[in-house]
Amino acid sequence: MSLNSVINSTFQFVKDRFPVEKLNYHSMVEKKEVPVHKMSWGYYTGGLTMFFFMIQVVTGLFLLFYYQPTVSEANVSVEYINKYVAGGSLIRNMHAWSSSCMIFCAVLHLLTAFAMKSFVKPREITWIAGVLLLFITFTFGFTGYLLPWNQIAVNATKVGLQSIEYIGEYLPGQLADVPRIIRETFQGEASVGQSTLGRFYALHVVILPLTLVSLLGLHLLSVQIHGMSQGVDKPAKKSEKFMSIFIFKDLSLWAFIFLCLFTVSMCIPFESFLPYPLLAPYNPLGSTPAGIKPEWYFFFVYYPLEMLPFWVILLASMILVGVLILTPWIFKGASRKTLGFLTILASLYLVVMTIFGEQIYELFKH
Amino acid sequence: MSFSNTETVENSKDLKQIDLKLKTNLSLIAFASSLALSFMTANPAQAYPEYQAFVEKNSKRSINCAMCHINEGGPVGNSKGQIGSLSEEELKLLSKARIAFEPGSDVHSPILNEFGNKIISAVGKKKFLEYKTSPEKLAAALGNESDLDTDGIPDAQEYLDGTDPLNKFHGEPVKLFWINLNRCKTHVILTVLAVISINFGLLSLVKGISSIKKK
Repeated sequence: MSLNSVINSTFQFVKDRFPVEKLNYHSMVEKKEVPVHKMSWGYYTGGLTMFFFMIQVVTGLFLLFYYQPTVSEANVSVEYINKYVAGGSLIRNMHAWSSSCMIFCAVLHLLTAFAMKSFVKPREITWIAGVLLLFITFTFGFTGYLLPWNQIAVNATKVGLQSIEYIGEYLPGQLADVPRIIRETFQGEASVGQSTLGRFYALHVVILPLTLVSLLGLHLLSVQIHGMSQGVDKPAKKSEKFMSIFIFKDLSLWAFIFLCLFTVSMCIPFESFLPYPLLAPYNPLGSTPAGIKPEWYFFFVYYPLEMLPFWVILLASMILVGVLILTPWIFKGASRKTLGFLTILASLYLVVMTIFGEQIYELFKH
Repeated sequence: MSFSNTETVENSKDLKQIDLKLKTNLSLIAFASSLALSFMTANPAQAYPEYQAFVEKNSKRSINCAMCHINEGGPVGNSKGQIGSLSEEELKLLSKARIAFEPGSDVHSPILNEFGNKIISAVGKKKFLEYKTSPEKLAAALGNESDLDTDGIPDAQEYLDGTDPLNKFHGEPVKLFWINLNRCKTHVILTVLAVISINFGLLSLVKGISSIKKK
């Protein structure tokens, strides 16, 4: 294959995914139709994820007014927001609850898109951008977890960063140093401290949001250009206009979800699920309290990591990431029935590990 | 020989002196030990792990000494809120708290937090020590009137739930939900109305844009 043909096929690939003739309001909005069938609810999961991201941005901006990213001030400033800022505890709770909801919806969106085979040509770029968006969302969760600078935040981050370094033990030659370099880059000093907090803060409030917005732009543009995927094997008999029937429904759903989020944030402090010793300000001289664990959305990898050898999880994670990125090509010929079955299996694993992971781990330990 | 006799005499004098010194030192040590022992027996300087074990078993939540003490590590040590760090004035307050055997005393122990002082004040040291063998009785003795953090969950219930009785943002989530929903119902109703209005406005806007485009 000559260089010329590679360039030509790449150009054709991009041209097919972003056809210039479709880059107008008429094609992308007015003409757009949304199929109506039994899996139609799946079309709303992406919008909901974006809605929770918008809540994250707004509440995060309010929190920026008061939060101090220094080891001496971080926890005090969070306490100040909770206790003395008008509506501070509500805003902080909305930020915490919506972060969990965003991750839940992002995973649900990925699973439904997979089951509906929404990744086939010409939607490969939409899929890959979506997978990258999911990874960024998880990174948001990881970096945001440290910011309150309490016992669980710092100790869980220590464990998380240490896990990155372990990867080096399984890599050959000079590659073995790469995970250590990555950990040191994120950590910034010998142990988790001021440099780590500063770097995580920069990642959480500047680098990740900018990356996410850029990728989200690409993802949404791609969705609008190609429209909603068929979603089911037989073409849907009914369809509805994106503008304004689908938008109507989407906005109404957002309004309902906002009310639920507002009520829950008003009534249940997110941290009340954790034992209070874990919420105490981090004490570098004190002992590590019992019960340190990551946020619930990492349980699917955390508990297996506790039960199985590290290399098993590492290998499984690498395969999973590879399969997710290459899904449009690996599952190109798979039927929706097969994809649906795989989705059910994956969902079962996620639900069981998230809800019963701790019990399974206890059983395994004894 | 004489030399040795003289030496023996001198030696015996020395031995007597040493014996005397030893006796004095021993009696001093014995006095100090008995003083320390009597102080420790009368004033145990440890927290009461029976309560912690009960709460953790009952609530299935891990807790630490900070539920009742100022310092999360308990009362022994030199850090803030621990006996070793107390001033003379604070030691007097501590002694006063330690003899508050009956309920109703004004207790301001410098090693206890507000909830710890409340317990001693409400049930008295005597009963508190009795409940060590049945820590569940402490909740009943505390009653449901006191709610130091004003989160709506009584302190006694927070003790049973293993949640922080001094933090209004910490409590059993389901209980907090119903209490706060009841407290904030006006806010919730107003928000429902606001969201419905905004949504109606937005939908009308979308409808308008859509009809303009059609024309």
